[in-house]
Amino acid sequence: MEHNWIMWIIRRVTSQDIVLPTLLLIVLIACWQALSTSGILPVYLVPPPSVVAAKAWETKGLLWFHALVTSYEVLVGFLLSVFGGVLLGATVISSKIVQKTVYPWLVVVQVIPKVAVGPLIVIWLGFGFWPKILIAFLLGFFPIMISTMHGLASVEKEKIYLLQTMGGRRLSTFRYLLLQSSLPDICSSFKVAITLVTIGAIVGEFIGSDNGLGYVLISANGSLDAPLLFVALLWITAISLIFYAIVTAIEKILIPWHVSVRSPTTT
Amino acid sequence: MDAIATLSSHDNSVVAESNKKRPPAISVNRLAMRYKTSDGDLVALENINFEIGKGEFISVVGPSGCGKSTLLTIIAGLVRATSGIVTVHGNRVTEPISDLGFVFQKDLLLEWRSVLGNILLQADVRGLPREEAKRKALLLLKQVGLEGFENRNPWELSGGMRQRVAICRALLPSAGILLMDEPFGALDALTRDRINLDLQNIWSTERPTALLITHSISEAVFLSDRVLVMSSRPGRIIDDVRIDLPRPRNASTRDTAEFVAFQHRLRMSIGQ
Repeated sequence: MEHNWIMWIIRRVTSQDIVLPTLLLIVLIACWQALSTSGILPVYLVPPPSVVAAKAWETKGLLWFHALVTSYEVLVGFLLSVFGGVLLGATVISSKIVQKTVYPWLVVVQVIPKVAVGPLIVIWLGFGFWPKILIAFLLGFFPIMISTMHGLASVEKEKIYLLQTMGGRRLSTFRYLLLQSSLPDICSSFKVAITLVTIGAIVGEFIGSDNGLGYVLISANGSLDAPLLFVALLWITAISLIFYAIVTAIEKILIPWHVSVRSPTTT
Repeated sequence: MDAIATLSSHDNSVVAESNKKRPPAISVNRLAMRYKTSDGDLVALENINFEIGKGEFISVVGPSGCGKSTLLTIIAGLVRATSGIVTVHGNRVTEPISDLGFVFQKDLLLEWRSVLGNILLQADVRGLPREEAKRKALLLLKQVGLEGFENRNPWELSGGMRQRVAICRALLPSAGILLMDEPFGALDALTRDRINLDLQNIWSTERPTALLITHSISEAVFLSDRVLVMSSRPGRIIDDVRIDLPRPRNASTRDTAEFVAFQHRLRMSIGQ
């Protein structure tokens, strides 16, 4: 059994899906290193990979802490975006009056550039945890809300009839039909939202913070520490990828029945 | 065989007599349905009147777009008619009725539920005890020839199998009324005949009051006690034919002279 598991990993790692992109990465890094050491790229602007790697090793403890801070902000911001987005989407679509009153203003909130309101949010909420969460939420909730609305609105009328013939009222129709039907739409919006929430958290740290990877970027920028900028970028990329993978896994758990997820079968 | 035939037609006459005393299961009075469209009013149904006795199997045949499906959704209380009165078991229908099994044109299986889960949706929404419902669901699946398919997913089934699951779902609550809206329209002729037999057998064990909308004259004659013929738009009932073929009917019933005569009679009615 354990042997099979190891074989699976080996097969996975040696598959073309893994080998080909890795080869490309190695080639690109080699080129970059060659260009830097030959003096074509100025070292103070584009540090060679060897210097970046050394810097990453040297700062790993410190950046681990900052990465945890940012990850925590992304996590809380994302959860709030999910709850807020689904709740708002479901509320807005539940009644024509609410839709007409509230929806235009939600669009207005969406089109305001969040980076521009950042300083205002810092004045209101200070330099702590919550301004970053708020900015992350403001960026993240909208795609989830729109997808929830789309998902709920595109349930077939006949299926709602079907639930009514079973004596289903609004609540049971929501529970047994609408929620599940709109999950594919909601799940696909998670992928958009998670990247936006990460941007929101980093931007929040830019504007006012003394920790997090956004803060590391800003302070490295202040001291023209290009290697540290690269290292911080690597960390941000890494946590974004991890969150993306988690969200994809959540999709597989929530909607194993959906065409986009289920394994192909023959009928 | 003849003795059984006489016996069952005798049974039918007993049912017919008792229907005269009791109120009908479904009664439709001066029903009309008009839609407002961009090119003015569209009259879908006009002055529809009929009654269905308890335990009767009625089919409605007629050309496409004559409002047959609309009629069914109105009886179920899903759609409100422009005017007229529908009563079910003596009560006026003003909201969706729930003593009802409804088979739609599309199977409407929920992709996130297994075959069994789809049938048990009835139990979940109605709050029926799950164990008992499960026993009945498995029995129904067996009756329609889907034994062993209970844990399959809907997307693994063929169109005919999916529609049979939809029928089981409609039959699960043993409701007094069974409404079917062209449920076999998308199936090939062989599958259709097979499901017609299954449906007849299940119907005759529980005897719900059944109303079937269909395009197939042969299907209507095979299954029904009475066939109503509707005209093209605006939909009106233009004929009401009692089908007194003995039950249970089987594949060879379709070859009898009476069966062919009923088919001819209905085709003439529709053709007017």
